[in-house]
Amino acid sequence: MIGIVVVSHSPRLAEAAVDLAMIMVGENPPPVAIAAGAGEGVIGTDAVAVAAAIEKVASPDGVLVFMDLGSAVLSATMALEFLSTDIEVRLSDAPFVEGITAGVVLAAAGASLDEVDRETRDALNAKIGQLDRPTDAPAAASAAVAGESAAEEKLINPDGLHSRPAATIVKLVAGYDAKVSITDLTTGKGPVSAKSLIGIMSLGAKEGDVIRISASGAQAAEAVEAIREMAADGFGEVPAKR
Amino acid sequence: MTTGTVSLDQIVSWLSRFRDLVTEQRSYLTELDSAIGDADHGANMYRGMTAVMEKIGTAPAGAADELLKTVGMTLVTSVGGASGPLYGTFFLRMGMTAGGATTFTPTELAAALRAGLDGIVSRGKAEAGDKTMFDAMSPALSALDASLAGGSSLHEAALAAFAAAERGRDATLPLVARKGRASYLGERSAGHLDPGATSTALLFQSLADTFPEG
Repeated sequence: MIGIVVVSHSPRLAEAAVDLAMIMVGENPPPVAIAAGAGEGVIGTDAVAVAAAIEKVASPDGVLVFMDLGSAVLSATMALEFLSTDIEVRLSDAPFVEGITAGVVLAAAGASLDEVDRETRDALNAKIGQLDRPTDAPAAASAAVAGESAAEEKLINPDGLHSRPAATIVKLVAGYDAKVSITDLTTGKGPVSAKSLIGIMSLGAKEGDVIRISASGAQAAEAVEAIREMAADGFGEVPAKR
Repeated sequence: MTTGTVSLDQIVSWLSRFRDLVTEQRSYLTELDSAIGDADHGANMYRGMTAVMEKIGTAPAGAADELLKTVGMTLVTSVGGASGPLYGTFFLRMGMTAGGATTFTPTELAAALRAGLDGIVSRGKAEAGDKTMFDAMSPALSALDASLAGGSSLHEAALAAFAAAERGRDATLPLVARKGRASYLGERSAGHLDPGATSTALLFQSLADTFPEG
């Protein structure tokens, strides 16, 4: 499991952001260390404290560092020069709260440093989607050459699309050349991008809900079928015989 | 011809003078920062340089790299704002360039200061005209180099560097900030001196004060 480091000017901001993220994971949270403030009561950041936080959660799986702004970024880049460990450490350019939340959830789900880094960078997309504002993504470009596909499936696992199945879908979709979205037909929520962990979780899809998986792109049909199969299988969370 | 060497004691005097100047002007620095930043530059530099002088005052260093590393690391851990990693990197790089020397020639000192500036640039990615400490330090070091190359004494060269730093600082007044929190203000950052360039001018004023005539 990768380690997460949170760098902020304010200890209260960092602690609250981590608390918020930890609500999303259960009994097996990833190692998280905070480096916030510059000594007693001083708003600021300290590169030496950042380096110490990185070493505290260091594992062979790597460490991802989230920063608020300004000197937090300078201190984190400087901290990399102080490290005595040779494990891989990356600085995330993800938005602070969204990035930490998605990062903690994905790390707990066992995602690799590459995956967590990539997914958290897109963590703002869930909010952009919710507000229904146009994104910069050239959506129409691939549709012309691509197929379209869709399927519906009833969720049978007791917890619905909670963090683990959501992370499984995100990981799976990454392997296909397709733009996939998911809608909860029972509640009318969505569609959300199947690349966005937070987006999928924001559906709040529960056992018994029918979801619609739709996709466009060269491997649209394959991607839809793969997700449909996993859903039909209850994401491996349904006891074999009741 | 440029003559004379710079001792570690003189480096400590330079730092001590810088501490005194940021202490005297901390309200002014914070006032500048409250116009376009987060109103902490004076308090931060005062805290940082006070911590530096406490550290090196109690444990005199044997060599330049050791001394300047202590200075840099103390600033990194005590300043808090962006000036921590920036001034911290400046002194750390100075120390790496100076190595285990116990004295500097004036050109060696200028080279060490130049390495410090290079460190700031690689850390903060600042360019000329971004309204940062770079805008005071870069012309100051060019003036220092040119003066020494022209055969001036260290006293004269440090005065030339200080004058160039002041001109660079003053030239930040109309600029629109492109780095740091001031950049969020966009056009509204114009019309204010940059606090970092202002404290950098104090660093060169301290240098000029450290090497009296003769």
